[in-house]
Amino acid sequence: MHLKYESVIREALVDGKKDYHQVTEDICAPIENKPTKLWKIGFFLSASLLLFGVFSVGWEVYWGTGVWNLNRTIGWGWDITNFVWWVGIGHAGTLISAILLLFRQGWRTGVNRAAEAMTIFAVMCAGQFPIWHMGRVWDAFFVLPYGNTRGPLWPNFVSPLLWDVFAISTYFTVSLLFWYSGLIPDFATIRDRAKTKFRKAAYGLASFGWAGSAKHWQRHEMLSLVLAGLSTPLVLSVHTIVSFDFATSVIPGWHTTIFPPYFVAGAVFSGFAMVQTLLVITRKVLKLEDYITIGHIEAMNKVIVLTGSIVGVAYLTELFIAYYSGVLWEQEAFRLRVMGPYWWAYWAMMTCNVVSPQLFWFKKLRRNIWFTFFMSIIVNIGMWFERFVIIMSLHRDYLPSSWSYYTPSWTEVGFYLGSFGLFFTCYFLFAKYFRLLPLRKSSLS
Amino acid sequence: MSVKKFAVAVYDDEAVLFPAVKKVRSAGYKIHDVYTPFAVHGLDVALGEKESDLHVAGFIYGITGTATALGFMGWIFTTDWPQNFGGKPTFPLPAFIPIVFELTVLFAAVGMVLTFCYLNQIMPGVKKHIFHPRQTDDKFVMAIEVTDENAASTEAFLKSTGAEETKVEMAEADWWYGRFDQKEEYEIKQQLA
Amino acid sequence: MLNQEFKIPAKLKTTSLVLLVIGLITLGAGVATLLFSHEVVSQTRFWAVLLQNSIFFLLISLASVFILSATSLAQAGWIVSFRRIPEAIGSIVWVLGIIAGAIILTLIWTDNYHIYHWLEKGNIPHNSLNTLKNFFLSKPFFSIWTVVVIALWGWLGVKLRNLSVQQDSEPKGSTKTYWINFKYSAGFVFVFALTLASTIPWLWIMSIDSHWFSTMFSWYTFASSFVSGMSMIMLWILYTKRHGYLDIVSDEHIHDVGKFMFAFSIFWTYLWFSQFMLIWYANIPEETIYFKIRMHGPYKFFYWLNIILNFVCPILILMPRPNKRNYFVVVLVAVLIIFGHWIDFYQMIMPGTVGADWQMGWFEIGILCGFVGLVIWLVANKLTKAPMVPQNHPFLKETIIHIS
Repeated sequence: MHLKYESVIREALVDGKKDYHQVTEDICAPIENKPTKLWKIGFFLSASLLLFGVFSVGWEVYWGTGVWNLNRTIGWGWDITNFVWWVGIGHAGTLISAILLLFRQGWRTGVNRAAEAMTIFAVMCAGQFPIWHMGRVWDAFFVLPYGNTRGPLWPNFVSPLLWDVFAISTYFTVSLLFWYSGLIPDFATIRDRAKTKFRKAAYGLASFGWAGSAKHWQRHEMLSLVLAGLSTPLVLSVHTIVSFDFATSVIPGWHTTIFPPYFVAGAVFSGFAMVQTLLVITRKVLKLEDYITIGHIEAMNKVIVLTGSIVGVAYLTELFIAYYSGVLWEQEAFRLRVMGPYWWAYWAMMTCNVVSPQLFWFKKLRRNIWFTFFMSIIVNIGMWFERFVIIMSLHRDYLPSSWSYYTPSWTEVGFYLGSFGLFFTCYFLFAKYFRLLPLRKSSLS
Repeated sequence: MSVKKFAVAVYDDEAVLFPAVKKVRSAGYKIHDVYTPFAVHGLDVALGEKESDLHVAGFIYGITGTATALGFMGWIFTTDWPQNFGGKPTFPLPAFIPIVFELTVLFAAVGMVLTFCYLNQIMPGVKKHIFHPRQTDDKFVMAIEVTDENAASTEAFLKSTGAEETKVEMAEADWWYGRFDQKEEYEIKQQLA
Repeated sequence: MLNQEFKIPAKLKTTSLVLLVIGLITLGAGVATLLFSHEVVSQTRFWAVLLQNSIFFLLISLASVFILSATSLAQAGWIVSFRRIPEAIGSIVWVLGIIAGAIILTLIWTDNYHIYHWLEKGNIPHNSLNTLKNFFLSKPFFSIWTVVVIALWGWLGVKLRNLSVQQDSEPKGSTKTYWINFKYSAGFVFVFALTLASTIPWLWIMSIDSHWFSTMFSWYTFASSFVSGMSMIMLWILYTKRHGYLDIVSDEHIHDVGKFMFAFSIFWTYLWFSQFMLIWYANIPEETIYFKIRMHGPYKFFYWLNIILNFVCPILILMPRPNKRNYFVVVLVAVLIIFGHWIDFYQMIMPGTVGADWQMGWFEIGILCGFVGLVIWLVANKLTKAPMVPQNHPFLKETIIHIS
């Protein structure tokens, strides 16, 4: 039972000699102290962005989706790009909490709470885009299969867009359950440490009355394990289904069988980059450098270089098979990606996603905080461009008179910025009021 | 609602807890419960707890989800409102797989979490007695139900197992609806009165 | 017990040699048949079966090298207890590579267009749409790339093994070789991405159906070879354990390998389904023809057998936890998986070559036996060359006390 041995090769997951109590003190400190000035500034900025987003969406709902610059040829623009991008970012959270749990990667405890929270917020952001794209958003419930008064009228279960509805809502629910069931014991810790009446009552409610009984812990472990086992195929299925939105069609450049695993790899790639961005800031602002160590950051960078390379192989595969196929339309779609009007997006994608992450092969760079932070932003830009490149395959049609070009209107940009506002507002609240790191044996050995 | 008398031992380390559990059990005491700040690997075995069957429940919920999705979509597409979508058969199984899978996972996850809450008797508004304020922080707490006669001897025995701190106290053995900011000793006294 | 050396049990030696002899006799009989019969079908069948078996056994052995490299890069401790087994399998890749390479190159240079249809003049028209295809599927490129890749695989497989053996004689606590091994592993994964995970399955297998293409194909082949490679490792672990070796491999290790077999069976199914569903859904005739012959045509039986053996069986049998710890069940599933993916390769190669005239007779089974015998014999011999447990690996202590 106490047989826990770590090889000399491994780094300590927590720096400095700390006992359990010290860990609790350190981790609870941000929650129990008054918010810092940095936190206030950050929160204010995100909340303003969120308000601007609300305004942009309000404008779009009032005037209709016509205020977006979509046209007959390019029916999907920034909106779906942002949807896919945010869903992808969400995946890292599940990956870290579920897959790394199954693979028994001890270092995950340093990052998993933040990553899981990020999943929830990212999926919330993602969900906004298809919902507001509906235009008549008050009719959004039409997508649900419910008994209605219009005769036996059901949604089309064969449509990938309806699969999305099921996939995203299931993913959100399961992630929320997984995250919250992990948080219950953490809330109990805060509750029992609380000095003020309000705090005790609030965290008492949130902790569900958890006391830490051995039998309950045994069930808790079982629950985490099975939820992890369920989440792992779930996370694959979600981005797979998102990729089906494109790949089930017969549009050149979209109908390609590698899309499902390649979208999943890309999702993990961008998600890890986003976790990296958040953690580099969080550990600094909340003074958690001893818990989110350079070792953690390096491990994450390794995943980034791995998934970046998988995505790279997929890009080259697509390009190669398009030329190998001998199909004129496929070849033209890919020629246009590389050399067409949107060439800049393609090359931005290639540079950010395939070329620059290769720098992480160097240990020095993997362990450099500033470089990591810079790269995490670059990767997310690159992954945004990946989706944009795919969607902009629409700009050419079989009919030359339909050929078109697309730039977003201010409402579309505002909506996107607003989603950042939503994401970071949630994250700031989370970092302040929730425990960022769970207390686990493995984080101490 | 049953207020009982408990001998409580607080341990500082798992390395002390495990031998203590063994000693207490072999001395014939019945452990009411052990509270730990995190899941301690192997403690359930040491306490003689059966393995949890929660995963079996999860499997049953999952199968229910599969059947619900297949049955519902199959009924709609073949019986209630058959339509031709893109020349696909009326029962297009490959196109059903995504939703079938999602509902399987959804049913399994939601069902398991609800079962978990039910079995552990936890939900918002539920309150349980916390024997030691640091049992959710870094201390390991063992509670044994005692009578007025054996209270002192049990406490002394617990002390001998390496407990950092021991005490005998009256506590609610079960859960009740309550708020954590309210004093519970008061409630206990009221009930005793 | 840690420095125990493997001695081949007499029974294993006989079995492997008997199987090998069966294979050789079958091969001889096959050649004899070819001399007497000039039927195209029997010729094509002869070569298609050799192609299928040699590629299959090469790729599932190669999976061991990948498993070694990937776990080295992930710094996985648990695998060290039975590391010598994937090492031994990996170091025979060069032998299987030479066999597969010889068969493939013979097909190319004898213009066997019944196997590789693109060798036929005019099969792929020379026009601007096919510039790349004509280069990729040209004899010089095909041959050079095949030789280079097999050489790289073979060399790295042997190298990783040698480094590990070298580590045994190092002073205690030295991590020098460990880090060299780490670098070679990274190199192998890089090579793997550009060969098995992309170009090689296109060249060797996908080009049989010379007008059909699927971007997923290589990753699908990878999943297939990975899960059967893991099953092969499992069989070796349990076999050697039964004969008193590998004491330090506990039920926990077995359970973990079992989980890999379970998870990657699901992963294979995921890739299989994605490829199938997208082609089925889009319903483009050029693509669906691939599944038409398999699903509704003469290969219907193998099509369903493939799914039953590789998806239904592993997922149902391996799901309960006790089954992953029951040696008998695990061996059964491992055999099913390996045979299932052999069938998978069969249905990848046969429809495009022998077509409706498929047979599953003495020749198919005989050659399969021959390759099984060869692999057993080679791996068993390799295992005798070094202690069954790495002596000085930095993760050795971790792996011994590995718990769930």
